[in-house]
Amino acid sequence: MSISVNGQSVVPPGFRFHPTEEELLTYYLKKKVASERIDLDVIRDVDLNKLEPWDIQEKCRIGSGPQNDWYFFSHKDKKYPTGTRTNRATAAGFWKATGRDKAIYTSARRIGMRKTLVFYKGRAPHGQKSDWIMHEYRLDEAHNPSAAAAAATAGDPYYSSPPPAAIRGAAGDQAAAQEQEGWVICRVFKKKNLLHHGQSSGGGATASVTGHTGAASSKMAAPMEGSPSNCSSVTVSDHAKAQLLHSASDDALDHILQYIGGRPCGSNTKHHDTKPALLDHHHHHHLATTTTATACTGGGLYGKFMKLPPLEHAGGLLQSPPGDYGGAADASGIADWDALDRLAAYELNGLSDASKTMVSFFDEPGSAAAAAFSSSVHATTVGVGDGDLWSLARSVSSLHADLTMDNV
Amino acid sequence: MGGATNLPPGFHFFPSDEDLVIHFLRRKVANLPCRPDIIPTVLLHHYNPWELNGTALQAGNQWYFFSHAAQSRTSPNGYWNPIGADETVTSSGCIVGLKKTLIFCTGEPSKGFKTNWIMHEYHLQDGGYNVSGSSTSSSSSSSRKSQRKRVHSSTESNSWVVCRVFESSCGSQVSFHDEGTELSCLDEVFLSLDDYDEVSLPNN
Repeated sequence: MSISVNGQSVVPPGFRFHPTEEELLTYYLKKKVASERIDLDVIRDVDLNKLEPWDIQEKCRIGSGPQNDWYFFSHKDKKYPTGTRTNRATAAGFWKATGRDKAIYTSARRIGMRKTLVFYKGRAPHGQKSDWIMHEYRLDEAHNPSAAAAAATAGDPYYSSPPPAAIRGAAGDQAAAQEQEGWVICRVFKKKNLLHHGQSSGGGATASVTGHTGAASSKMAAPMEGSPSNCSSVTVSDHAKAQLLHSASDDALDHILQYIGGRPCGSNTKHHDTKPALLDHHHHHHLATTTTATACTGGGLYGKFMKLPPLEHAGGLLQSPPGDYGGAADASGIADWDALDRLAAYELNGLSDASKTMVSFFDEPGSAAAAAFSSSVHATTVGVGDGDLWSLARSVSSLHADLTMDNV
Repeated sequence: MGGATNLPPGFHFFPSDEDLVIHFLRRKVANLPCRPDIIPTVLLHHYNPWELNGTALQAGNQWYFFSHAAQSRTSPNGYWNPIGADETVTSSGCIVGLKKTLIFCTGEPSKGFKTNWIMHEYHLQDGGYNVSGSSTSSSSSSSRKSQRKRVHSSTESNSWVVCRVFESSCGSQVSFHDEGTELSCLDEVFLSLDDYDEVSLPNN
């Protein structure tokens, strides 16, 4: 979209459209929903189903300068015929939600939510994950009159109507309340590869991945080797780490657990040495004696936290429960826990300067698991030398023990 | 933030290295008005980095100002110590400037203590260009390859630098600008978990 008037850019040098989340919601989306005029209307409407991410750059260009992120409005009205889910499929692939929605605040008041989606090429279930990420922002109903009616029926605490049957099962999923329809504002960008130092092109240089972060990943590489891990979960930026550390209010760990809990317990033959041992056991509680510390944590936690689909076959041939998780066959619960372990390891590694924050992060009210995790992690902190893997493993297994005790 | 502009919300002063050199430093050196004229001149040695508020141009958590290039970059409570190698700033394939990174140390030079305060100091490469009267006075960065004349290290042109100061958190240089385009640690975890999950339906 042009921001020129008579060939002269109205945006002076050095200025870029780089709105904060608050600005996106409180100015642009709010005006859009209210059909008010937006000054210098740089955000255009896009039919998400007709636009591939790689075309977004051209379509949503603002001015002529380099751009790392693109914005558009989208109206969520397309649904799959069979349900209430928004259809975000394009000709070449589909957008799949990941993680959980994040609340957006302005001066301590919640104004909306952000959903993170990843673009997969192809068709489910064989989609191939890409680096294209979308943040989809929506206003809370209070700010979104058009959605209020829909939300009113969706079990929102502000509305007294009973929840509809269509509401998704997950507890605390306020998102479901607002999945109906209405305008959303989207920011699309390409995921930075945090393994590499980004060039500091703009004012906001990319996050530096340095010293201990990199060390964490290489140290952890040994026990994790063979697990098809995405290193980016370890080599996150310090900024991101700080974000995580401060996201206590997000019940972060709780949700990791929940999230993983919702995963099918598959297994990953190709990569995991401990696999045969694992598969001989239908009850994961016994795994501790036969597998590595890492794996046993996963198994133990699985036993405690998860509703396990039965393990019927070895290898990647596991059948997922009918109609439940959409035919996931190759998902590895163990590997999931590797990821969490690595996260824990990463945090432990940075503990010397961050133990307080970390405790506050894990110390969440209403979550016995989190509390156990917290105390366990905290208690073993002293023993965990810089990069001492076995201490770490011990701490992880003692965590397992704690959790077991807490939950029996 | 960003000075006297009438831009709607969402537009922020977020200059690239190239912007700073081409649109600001070069014009400053050539004694041309910067448009917009928002970056003030600050006598660096009068201020500690945390005292720049209200003096330098604040954009997000970064401060911008012009300063005289100085041999000793001392401040009331410390000094700026160069770190890392100088980077070149290019525009349309030409090297137009030099970017130095410095860290603020409190105390006496050579025995001070490092802080989190970082400065990017931009110099014109090899002095300034003689912009007056030639096509290079155009502020666009494109048509500069031809017809440029160099003013050889005139003290005048060499004496200005433009600086960006910010406090790095946790050793990173992430600014508020990145809040939406960086995935959080948690997001990364979720993303990696998705690797193990061959889903059949796009989630809502």
